[in-house]
Amino acid sequence: MSIMEYNGGSVIAMVGKDCVAIASDLRLGNQALGISSNFQKIFPMTNRIFLGLPGLATDVTTLKETFRYRVNMFTIKEEREIEPETFAHLVSSTLYERRFGPWFIEPVMAGLQKTHDGGYKPYIAATDLIGCLNFAKDFVVAGTASTKLFGVAEGLWEPDLEPEDLFETISQTLLNAVDRDAYSGWGAEVYVLTKDKVIKRTLKGRMD
Amino acid sequence: MNSFLTRYSSTSPEADIRKAKELFDEDGDVSDVMWGSASGFGNLASGVPMFKLPSVPDPTSFLRMHTDDHADPSCRIKIKHGTTTLAFRFQGGVIVAVDSRATAGSYVASGTVKKVIEINPYLLGTMAGGAADCQYWETYLGIQCRLHELRNRERISVAAASKYLSNLVYSYKGMGLSMGTMICGWDKTVRIPEMNRDCTEAIRANCRLQGPAIFYVDSDGSRLKGDLFSVGSGSTFAYGVLDQGYRWDLTDAEAQELGRRSIYAAGHRDAFSGNTVNLYHVKQDGWQFIGNYDVSKLHYEGPGDVPGAPGTGYGYDLRVAGRTSSDAPQSEGQA
Amino acid sequence: MPDGSFAHPQQRQFNPYTDNGGTILAIAGADFTVIAGDTRQSEGYSIQTRYAPKVFRLTDRAVLAVNGFAADGNMFVKKVKQRLEWYRHAHAKDMPLHAIARLIQTMLYAQRFFPYYVYNILGGIEEDGSGAVYSFDPVGSYEREACRAAGAAQSLVQPFLDNQIYFKNQKAAAGQSHPAHLPLSDVLAIVIDSFTSATERHIEVGDGLEIYVVVAKGRSPQGLETMRNVQELSTRPDGDRMFILRRELKKD
Repeated sequence: MSIMEYNGGSVIAMVGKDCVAIASDLRLGNQALGISSNFQKIFPMTNRIFLGLPGLATDVTTLKETFRYRVNMFTIKEEREIEPETFAHLVSSTLYERRFGPWFIEPVMAGLQKTHDGGYKPYIAATDLIGCLNFAKDFVVAGTASTKLFGVAEGLWEPDLEPEDLFETISQTLLNAVDRDAYSGWGAEVYVLTKDKVIKRTLKGRMD
Repeated sequence: MNSFLTRYSSTSPEADIRKAKELFDEDGDVSDVMWGSASGFGNLASGVPMFKLPSVPDPTSFLRMHTDDHADPSCRIKIKHGTTTLAFRFQGGVIVAVDSRATAGSYVASGTVKKVIEINPYLLGTMAGGAADCQYWETYLGIQCRLHELRNRERISVAAASKYLSNLVYSYKGMGLSMGTMICGWDKTVRIPEMNRDCTEAIRANCRLQGPAIFYVDSDGSRLKGDLFSVGSGSTFAYGVLDQGYRWDLTDAEAQELGRRSIYAAGHRDAFSGNTVNLYHVKQDGWQFIGNYDVSKLHYEGPGDVPGAPGTGYGYDLRVAGRTSSDAPQSEGQA
Repeated sequence: MPDGSFAHPQQRQFNPYTDNGGTILAIAGADFTVIAGDTRQSEGYSIQTRYAPKVFRLTDRAVLAVNGFAADGNMFVKKVKQRLEWYRHAHAKDMPLHAIARLIQTMLYAQRFFPYYVYNILGGIEEDGSGAVYSFDPVGSYEREACRAAGAAQSLVQPFLDNQIYFKNQKAAAGQSHPAHLPLSDVLAIVIDSFTSATERHIEVGDGLEIYVVVAKGRSPQGLETMRNVQELSTRPDGDRMFILRRELKKD
């Protein structure tokens, strides 16, 4: 059994037109046994960066705090908010610190990057459990349902989706993928980030 | 040494099969009946079914090496598993309820599996373990039950049918069959003549063979008679609900609701069970299909307008909404 | 590492199976069935051939797709065809689809202790004129379904099909309901999309795509005849019609 399958869970992030979305399931399991249908895996790092942490639940909790601490230290030292691209490298180096005894987490992040002309550019990235960064222009996935997410996302996603269409696309992708995965599901939540607001929605998913 | 022993021994199951093969003098894949219309099952009705074996010293360990995903998760031929099935006897007959999920590793291979096998109009078998093993041998059992009827001009008893299956799988013990099944039915009711009402022991024994019956049969060779069984990875969850609500004098509606609610519980908590519930009721004149219910719909809305239904969703979070410390009642906050 | 010497204890294993990758897919409509498969055959990271068919015509109204170990698959198809020919000689008609399904079960189960490493999907037209798909596991358990993907990319394709064919997790507009069966043009578009997606994200899928379409007797092929790269395989003009549609997939 893979360590990712011990607690289960999946995360996906997608790029839209001037917006990004990140979504996860809400299951926490002990192998086959479902424990909680309210286990969050996505955390706000700044107002414009959301981090998804699918993997071993104990490491989800620990890493969430580690990144909160490191982002706060960055803000204090630099006297500015961390940018998504910088944050992605922070995630990468934090994970690589444990190269030979890794955190069992495959992070996925979504954010809006400040551009030189004062606008915002969608930014998504994912890493493996030792911090190898994967920047994608379309979508990134991780967790026990990753193969299923890849298949559905590849079929449904298209470039330049408006926030509401992006929400529908990421929601359909997640729900249909986790329904084919025994270790993910039990509800879901979606965050859509636009330049002036963050929309959070909780989805009514299958409960089996 | 051991492998040589089994290969040439005259008592091992492999040897038995080899002997049968020599006896019938056929290679398993070509027989006269294949020219005809029996489409494969013809050779079963006429004798012992024949199986091809790999030419290795120990066919059993060969099979285990290539199919058992517990021993080797990377093995190629994944046997689908994970299930919740239950059956119980009560005043009004037998309730049989099952889920419909099949998983291969973490992948939900199917959500529409028929885990109740309709052996004939008055016998049901349930499926847990190897899907093919259950489907094939319970179909085969159906053939033998029909032959029994034709030979004896009388329906086969549930006891006899289940024993036939039990003996059959026992002859393959240790060779890798995987089945956990419940054979359910209603044995014909013999009217006891008025003058014999002060029963002799023999008649009383006969009476015990009447009415609803359940036998649990598995591939280890167990065969158990009982009132209530649940089999599969989600059985513990089903038992929890089942034991709590079970009584002999349940009404038909109550019993159906109990079966449905028990499989729901397993589908909810067990990752390898779920999708839908299939519900059957066996009565004196044979089995009856009650319905197919989506587990997620049961969670949010309940089974709909059916006898015995609570009228709301089965979901825990629905029933406690606004009544827990994390989701406190509105009135308290305002006071 | 066995080196031929007797210095160390050595163990050898008989391993007659390999996985040749690829993916197959079948979707049943109201009066037609689509059965498709890619044509890449691989072993590990190597491509053995870019054209090895995995989908085979059995009768005028039955098509079998086989995936898994190619040697077992080809042998199995050969034996099924032989049994169907014998049936024709004995009964002067083709075996009906549901009977072929049962035949395949018994043929697979006859190898219960030395299984064919193949996942079968049987598609075609039932005696009542409806489209049907039967899917099998390697030892013969089977089920009639409306759609099924099998093989290397089944976990990529199947959830997409759940969404697009069964409308899973989709709510119909107010006062409307989802169609029970899709028209042929929609099904073909979904099949082609499924394979291009699978090709994009799975290394064992690609090269070419063969799509068999069986249309029930007297029903319209809905413009299929005029599509590019279509070949008609029907043996009689008045019976069920069978077409094969070929498409290229990415070769990288």
